[in-house]
Amino acid sequence: MRKIFLFFAFLLGLTSTSFSQLERQLANENQAVELIFHAPRHINLLTVEPLEKKTMHFAIMHTFGTLNGGIENLFGLDNGANIQFSFEFGLSDKFSLGVSRASRDKVYQAFGRYHLFEQTQNGKMPFSLSLAGGAGVITNNYSFFPVAEQPVFGDRLNYFGQVMLARKFSGKISFQLSPTFAYFNNPLPIFQIEGDQNFYLALGMSGKWKVTDRSSLTLQYIPNLNSDLRSNFGIGWDVEAGGHVFQMYFVTSQALTEPYLLAGGNGVPGEEFRLGFNVNRIFALGQKKRK
Amino acid sequence: MRRLIFIAWFFIPILGFSQEYLTKNGSVVFLSKAPLNEFEGKSNSLNGLIDLEKNLLDFYLDLNTLNTGIGLRDKHMRENYLETEKFPFAEFTGKMEPVPDLKAGQSYPVRARGKFKIHGVEREILVQGTITMRSDKRLDLNSEFTILLNDYQIEIPKLVFYELAPEQKVTINATLSPKK
Repeated sequence: MRKIFLFFAFLLGLTSTSFSQLERQLANENQAVELIFHAPRHINLLTVEPLEKKTMHFAIMHTFGTLNGGIENLFGLDNGANIQFSFEFGLSDKFSLGVSRASRDKVYQAFGRYHLFEQTQNGKMPFSLSLAGGAGVITNNYSFFPVAEQPVFGDRLNYFGQVMLARKFSGKISFQLSPTFAYFNNPLPIFQIEGDQNFYLALGMSGKWKVTDRSSLTLQYIPNLNSDLRSNFGIGWDVEAGGHVFQMYFVTSQALTEPYLLAGGNGVPGEEFRLGFNVNRIFALGQKKRK
Repeated sequence: MRRLIFIAWFFIPILGFSQEYLTKNGSVVFLSKAPLNEFEGKSNSLNGLIDLEKNLLDFYLDLNTLNTGIGLRDKHMRENYLETEKFPFAEFTGKMEPVPDLKAGQSYPVRARGKFKIHGVEREILVQGTITMRSDKRLDLNSEFTILLNDYQIEIPKLVFYELAPEQKVTINATLSPKK
């Protein structure tokens, strides 16, 4: 018995001499889960993907005419596009402000995003939560209407607010819920929206299925919660190419700003799809040039 | 007598401590020189141990701490290339050939042979470097070596071949203090 004890004691001493490697420790235990989505935008919706301080996100977004015109209209490309330019600046790692301009009704929009918390790799925080909000002004010229029917400045304003809750379920699958409201000060029929309500409520959903290392199948569904308008649906393909993220998709409306996405005008999915195309690029600002 | 040997046996590792040198903030820089893009990634979180008694070198780096100066590039590096969520560390464990007899204020060229592991792939490598015993009893370690990404199953897609070099030059600078 004693011999056995001594033998084990011997082994114990031996192991403590030969295995004295350093214990591997992470520098930051709560390392954030990154790239839940490829870009700060996903088809037409904003995502929880933050900008870093002193970076700018530039997005050009297009949605074309309906595909059902066939080759004669080059699958909607002849019908003209709604184009949005969007510039968003990271003021800190959690807060960014942006401006955008969409050609439909010539809407200028100012918006912001704030990231409350990020999903962590160790699972202590199981999801990312961000807020977004913005205000837009329709700057289209309606002077060809009789003076009494022309909108005043207050009529042209619209707003949105959004909560974004996202989780990367695995390396391949990410999902985001975006409860969103939109408010039009005066939803006049001259504006290119279908609904006539002031207030719209919808539950945006964004999905990503990473198919290869640098490309994903993407989904968007924005069911309306307080109107009978047809809901927005989109399906697409994201490709990461160097510093760019290209997003190609089929979607049921030409709307690009959040209030317009919620205010209807959607075709039947499959029959009245439109081609859409986004280019996303992140620029680093104020970086010292390295030798 | 037997009891004495028995107790002494447990003290051997403790006696050895006087020959252990440690760091937690060594510097690591990698340089990627591709035809269209040259960039560096840096970290100051290299953890290391040099045990002169047992001739043990043990270094590891949390790859999440590497910074190339562009956040999105860092994210892509972590997610698509190094896959840090699965393989957070780069590790080297080896021996010096031979162990130099260090004298204060002098530098010695050293070679180390051992196992280097990154991206879940372990390979035996031979690294050249310099060790300096400073007058304040601390050790300076400098080393430069090259890593072929292909050796560690880190694939470079054709689309970014001109932006990311298949060969990465790694430079290490660390000052290790005696373990107390």
